[in-house]
Amino acid sequence: MAQTQGEHQTKRLDWEALEIGEKLLTLSYVLTQEMVDEFRKGVMDPEAAFPTISQKVDVRPYHLVYHDDGSVNARCAFYCYNPPIPGKRITVQAWIADKYARRGKNYIVTAAVSVDEDGRLLDRVVTHELKQPAEVGKKWQ
Amino acid sequence: MAIVRSYKVGDPLPPLTKHMTQEAINCFEKSGGAKGPSQFTDLETARSTLGTASTVASGRMSLTFAIELLRRYFGADVYNRGGMVDLRFLRPVRPGDSVTFTGKVTGIAREADGNRVSVEVSATNQKGDVTAAGTGTCLVPSGYWPAEE
Repeated sequence: MAQTQGEHQTKRLDWEALEIGEKLLTLSYVLTQEMVDEFRKGVMDPEAAFPTISQKVDVRPYHLVYHDDGSVNARCAFYCYNPPIPGKRITVQAWIADKYARRGKNYIVTAAVSVDEDGRLLDRVVTHELKQPAEVGKKWQ
Repeated sequence: MAIVRSYKVGDPLPPLTKHMTQEAINCFEKSGGAKGPSQFTDLETARSTLGTASTVASGRMSLTFAIELLRRYFGADVYNRGGMVDLRFLRPVRPGDSVTFTGKVTGIAREADGNRVSVEVSATNQKGDVTAAGTGTCLVPSGYWPAEE
Protein backbone atom coordinates (compact mmCIF):
# COMPACT_ATOMS: atom_id res chain seq x y z
CA MET A 1 0.00 0.00 0.00
CA ALA A 2 1.41 3.39 -0.96
CA GLN A 3 1.76 6.30 1.45
CA THR A 4 3.11 9.80 1.03
CA GLN A 5 6.20 11.04 2.88
CA GLY A 6 6.60 14.73 2.08
CA GLU A 7 6.76 14.94 -1.70
CA HIS A 8 7.49 11.24 -2.03
CA GLN A 9 5.09 8.36 -2.33
CA THR A 10 6.41 5.46 -0.27
CA LYS A 11 5.74 1.75 -0.51
CA ARG A 12 5.24 -0.73 2.31
CA LEU A 13 8.41 -2.60 3.15
CA ASP A 14 8.51 -6.19 1.89
CA TRP A 15 11.54 -7.49 3.78
CA GLU A 16 11.77 -10.68 1.69
CA ALA A 17 11.81 -8.71 -1.54
CA LEU A 18 14.21 -6.00 -0.36
CA GLU A 19 17.39 -6.15 -2.45
CA ILE A 20 20.83 -5.78 -0.90
CA GLY A 21 22.66 -3.04 -2.78
CA GLU A 22 19.54 -1.03 -3.56
CA LYS A 23 20.50 2.64 -3.84
CA LEU A 24 18.21 4.98 -1.94
CA LEU A 25 17.29 8.53 -2.89
CA THR A 26 20.11 11.06 -2.62
CA LEU A 27 19.69 13.43 0.30
CA SER A 28 21.00 16.99 0.33
CA TYR A 29 20.87 19.59 3.11
CA VAL A 30 22.74 22.61 4.43
CA LEU A 31 24.26 22.13 7.88
CA THR A 32 23.55 25.29 9.88
CA GLN A 33 25.33 26.60 12.97
CA GLU A 34 21.99 26.27 14.78
CA MET A 35 21.94 22.53 14.04
CA VAL A 36 25.50 22.21 15.34
CA ASP A 37 24.70 24.16 18.53
CA GLU A 38 21.55 22.13 19.20
CA PHE A 39 23.42 18.87 18.60
CA ARG A 40 26.23 19.85 20.99
CA LYS A 41 23.68 20.84 23.63
CA GLY A 42 21.94 17.49 23.23
CA VAL A 43 25.10 15.44 23.60
CA MET A 44 26.52 17.74 26.28
CA ASP A 45 29.79 18.15 24.43
CA PRO A 46 30.83 21.60 23.14
CA GLU A 47 33.46 20.00 20.92
CA ALA A 48 31.29 17.33 19.29
CA ALA A 49 32.41 17.43 15.68
CA PHE A 50 29.93 15.23 13.84
CA PRO A 51 26.42 16.70 14.06
CA THR A 52 25.72 14.63 10.97
CA ILE A 53 25.02 11.76 13.41
CA SER A 54 21.69 13.20 14.56
CA GLN A 55 20.62 13.73 10.94
CA LYS A 56 20.15 9.93 10.68
CA VAL A 57 21.11 10.25 7.03
CA ASP A 58 21.20 6.54 6.39
CA VAL A 59 17.62 5.85 7.45
CA ARG A 60 16.04 9.10 6.26
CA PRO A 61 16.52 8.17 2.58
CA TYR A 62 15.06 4.75 3.41
CA HIS A 63 11.91 6.44 4.69
CA LEU A 64 11.63 8.40 1.44
CA VAL A 65 11.13 5.06 -0.30
CA TYR A 66 9.54 2.75 2.29
CA HIS A 67 7.16 2.83 5.23
CA ASP A 68 6.93 0.10 7.88
CA ASP A 69 5.92 -0.51 11.50
CA GLY A 70 8.91 1.38 12.88
CA SER A 71 12.34 0.24 13.93
CA VAL A 72 14.90 0.14 16.69
CA ASN A 73 18.58 0.85 16.24
CA ALA A 74 20.38 -2.37 17.12
CA ARG A 75 23.91 -1.51 16.04
CA CYS A 76 25.64 1.47 14.52
CA ALA A 77 29.13 2.02 13.15
CA PHE A 78 30.42 5.50 12.40
CA TYR A 79 33.60 6.42 10.52
CA CYS A 80 35.06 9.93 10.92
CA TYR A 81 36.93 11.43 7.96
CA ASN A 82 36.49 15.23 8.20
CA PRO A 83 34.30 17.25 10.57
CA PRO A 84 31.50 18.97 8.62
CA ILE A 85 31.60 22.78 8.32
CA PRO A 86 28.47 24.83 9.14
CA GLY A 87 27.06 26.61 6.10
CA LYS A 88 28.17 23.95 3.64
CA ARG A 89 25.74 21.84 1.65
CA ILE A 90 26.06 18.13 2.38
CA THR A 91 25.08 15.40 -0.05
CA VAL A 92 24.35 11.90 1.19
CA GLN A 93 24.22 8.70 -0.78
CA ALA A 94 22.64 5.82 1.10
CA TRP A 95 21.96 2.22 0.19
CA ILE A 96 20.71 -1.08 1.59
CA ALA A 97 23.95 -2.72 2.67
CA ASP A 98 22.58 -5.96 4.10
CA LYS A 99 19.60 -7.71 5.67
CA TYR A 100 19.39 -10.69 7.98
CA ALA A 101 17.03 -12.61 10.22
CA ARG A 102 18.10 -13.60 13.72
CA ARG A 103 16.02 -15.39 16.34
CA GLY A 104 12.87 -14.75 14.35
CA LYS A 105 13.49 -11.03 13.98
CA ASN A 106 14.20 -9.14 10.79
CA TYR A 107 17.01 -6.62 10.46
CA ILE A 108 17.94 -4.17 7.73
CA VAL A 109 21.43 -2.69 7.39
CA THR A 110 21.65 0.71 5.75
CA ALA A 111 24.87 2.54 4.91
CA ALA A 112 25.47 6.15 3.93
CA VAL A 113 28.35 8.36 2.92
CA SER A 114 28.29 12.14 3.37
CA VAL A 115 30.30 14.54 1.20
CA ASP A 116 30.24 18.34 1.36
CA GLU A 117 29.97 20.82 -1.51
CA ASP A 118 33.77 21.07 -1.74
CA GLY A 119 34.09 17.33 -2.21
CA ARG A 120 35.35 16.64 1.33
CA LEU A 121 34.48 13.16 2.50
CA LEU A 122 32.88 13.70 5.92
CA ASP A 123 31.77 10.39 7.34
CA ARG A 124 30.29 6.98 6.72
CA VAL A 125 27.61 5.36 8.83
CA VAL A 126 26.31 1.80 8.91
CA THR A 127 23.16 1.06 10.89
CA HIS A 128 21.43 -2.22 11.78
CA GLU A 129 17.74 -1.71 12.40
CA LEU A 130 15.42 -4.21 14.01
CA LYS A 131 12.14 -4.00 12.15
CA GLN A 132 9.96 -5.24 14.99
CA PRO A 133 10.19 -2.34 17.47
CA ALA A 134 7.66 -3.84 19.92
CA GLU A 135 10.33 -6.43 20.80
CA VAL A 136 11.97 -3.76 22.97
CA GLY A 137 8.95 -3.46 25.27
CA LYS A 138 8.63 -7.25 25.52
CA LYS A 139 12.11 -7.44 26.99
CA TRP A 140 12.46 -4.11 28.80
CA GLN A 141 9.35 -2.31 30.02
CA MET B 1 58.20 20.38 19.13
CA ALA B 2 56.67 17.21 17.78
CA ILE B 3 53.76 15.65 19.60
CA VAL B 4 54.60 12.12 20.67
CA ARG B 5 51.89 9.73 21.72
CA SER B 6 52.26 6.30 23.08
CA TYR B 7 49.76 3.48 23.41
CA LYS B 8 50.02 -0.07 24.61
CA VAL B 9 47.65 -2.99 24.80
CA GLY B 10 45.76 -2.98 28.09
CA ASP B 11 45.85 0.81 28.57
CA PRO B 12 42.49 1.98 30.00
CA LEU B 13 40.69 4.99 28.54
CA PRO B 14 39.57 7.66 31.04
CA PRO B 15 35.86 7.00 31.64
CA LEU B 16 33.14 9.38 30.50
CA THR B 17 29.78 9.71 32.29
CA LYS B 18 26.65 11.25 30.79
CA HIS B 19 23.50 12.12 32.70
CA MET B 20 20.55 11.67 30.38
CA THR B 21 17.64 14.09 30.44
CA GLN B 22 14.56 14.42 28.28
CA GLU B 23 15.74 17.92 27.39
CA ALA B 24 19.02 16.53 26.02
CA ILE B 25 17.15 13.90 24.02
CA ASN B 26 14.82 16.57 22.62
CA CYS B 27 17.79 18.74 21.59
CA PHE B 28 19.45 15.81 19.85
CA GLU B 29 16.30 14.96 17.90
CA LYS B 30 15.59 18.59 17.06
CA SER B 31 19.14 19.11 15.76
CA GLY B 32 18.52 16.35 13.25
CA GLY B 33 15.37 18.02 11.96
CA ALA B 34 12.95 15.58 13.59
CA LYS B 35 9.44 16.95 13.63
CA GLY B 36 6.48 15.56 15.48
CA PRO B 37 6.30 12.99 18.26
CA SER B 38 8.60 9.98 18.29
CA GLN B 39 9.59 7.17 20.63
CA PHE B 40 12.42 9.47 21.75
CA THR B 41 10.39 12.55 22.58
CA ASP B 42 6.84 11.42 23.33
CA LEU B 43 5.74 8.96 26.01
CA GLU B 44 2.58 7.84 24.22
CA THR B 45 4.50 7.13 21.01
CA ALA B 46 7.11 5.17 22.99
CA ARG B 47 4.33 3.12 24.61
CA SER B 48 2.56 2.37 21.36
CA THR B 49 5.65 1.75 19.20
CA LEU B 50 8.07 0.11 21.62
CA GLY B 51 5.82 -0.96 24.48
CA THR B 52 8.08 0.79 27.00
CA ALA B 53 6.97 2.75 30.05
CA SER B 54 9.14 5.72 29.15
CA THR B 55 10.77 7.44 26.22
CA VAL B 56 14.21 6.18 25.24
CA ALA B 57 17.32 7.88 23.93
CA SER B 58 18.36 7.22 20.36
CA GLY B 59 21.22 4.74 20.09
CA ARG B 60 22.97 7.43 18.11
CA MET B 61 23.34 9.43 21.32
CA SER B 62 25.30 6.57 22.86
CA LEU B 63 27.27 6.34 19.62
CA THR B 64 28.16 10.03 19.94
CA PHE B 65 29.24 9.54 23.57
CA ALA B 66 31.49 6.65 22.57
CA ILE B 67 33.00 8.87 19.88
CA GLU B 68 33.63 11.55 22.54
CA LEU B 69 35.33 8.95 24.78
CA LEU B 70 37.71 8.04 21.98
CA ARG B 71 38.22 11.60 20.74
CA ARG B 72 39.28 12.71 24.23
CA TYR B 73 41.71 9.80 24.44
CA PHE B 74 43.30 10.04 21.00
CA GLY B 75 42.93 13.80 20.44
CA ALA B 76 40.53 15.51 18.04
CA ASP B 77 43.32 16.14 15.53
CA VAL B 78 43.68 12.45 14.74
CA TYR B 79 40.39 10.94 15.87
CA ASN B 80 38.14 13.27 13.87
CA ARG B 81 40.06 12.30 10.72
CA GLY B 82 40.68 8.63 11.21
CA GLY B 83 38.52 7.26 14.00
CA MET B 84 35.56 4.94 14.07
CA VAL B 85 33.19 3.30 16.53
CA ASP B 86 31.02 0.22 16.08
CA LEU B 87 28.47 -0.13 18.88
CA ARG B 88 25.74 -2.66 19.65
CA PHE B 89 22.82 -1.31 21.65
CA LEU B 90 21.92 -3.86 24.31
CA ARG B 91 19.46 -2.06 26.60
CA PRO B 92 17.43 1.13 26.36
CA VAL B 93 18.88 4.33 27.80
CA ARG B 94 16.19 6.50 29.36
CA PRO B 95 15.83 10.00 30.76
CA GLY B 96 17.24 9.98 34.31
CA ASP B 97 19.90 7.37 33.54
CA SER B 98 23.59 7.99 34.17
CA VAL B 99 25.66 6.10 31.64
CA THR B 100 29.41 5.62 31.98
CA PHE B 101 31.52 4.81 28.93
CA THR B 102 34.77 2.94 29.43
CA GLY B 103 37.35 1.44 27.14
CA LYS B 104 40.66 -0.39 26.90
CA VAL B 105 43.31 -0.67 24.20
CA THR B 106 43.17 -4.13 22.67
CA GLY B 107 45.57 -4.00 19.74
CA ILE B 108 47.95 -1.96 17.62
CA ALA B 109 48.51 -2.77 13.95
CA ARG B 110 50.78 -1.10 11.46
CA GLU B 111 49.12 0.25 8.34
CA ALA B 112 50.30 2.11 5.25
CA ASP B 113 49.78 5.53 6.82
CA GLY B 114 50.29 4.94 10.52
CA ASN B 115 49.29 2.57 13.28
CA ARG B 116 45.70 1.59 13.89
CA VAL B 117 44.95 1.42 17.61
CA SER B 118 41.96 -0.76 18.51
CA VAL B 119 39.89 -0.43 21.66
CA GLU B 120 36.95 -2.19 23.23
CA VAL B 121 34.17 0.09 24.47
CA SER B 122 31.26 -0.46 26.80
CA ALA B 123 28.56 1.65 28.40
CA THR B 124 27.07 0.85 31.81
CA ASN B 125 24.12 2.51 33.51
CA GLN B 126 23.73 3.45 37.18
CA LYS B 127 22.31 -0.01 37.93
CA GLY B 128 25.40 -1.73 36.55
CA ASP B 129 23.64 -2.95 33.42
CA VAL B 130 25.59 -2.81 30.18
CA THR B 131 23.61 -0.67 27.72
CA ALA B 132 26.02 -0.82 24.79
CA ALA B 133 29.23 -2.56 23.82
CA GLY B 134 31.51 -2.58 20.85
CA THR B 135 34.82 -1.58 19.42
CA GLY B 136 36.56 1.46 18.07
CA THR B 137 39.74 2.25 16.25
CA CYS B 138 41.89 5.25 15.50
CA LEU B 139 44.51 5.54 12.81
CA VAL B 140 47.39 7.42 14.46
CA PRO B 141 49.87 8.71 11.84
CA SER B 142 53.46 7.48 12.18
CA GLY B 143 54.65 11.03 12.86
CA TYR B 144 52.94 10.98 16.26
CA TRP B 145 54.76 7.87 17.48
CA PRO B 146 58.16 7.79 19.15
CA ALA B 147 61.02 7.31 16.65
CA GLU B 148 61.92 3.67 16.11
CA GLU B 149 65.32 2.52 17.37
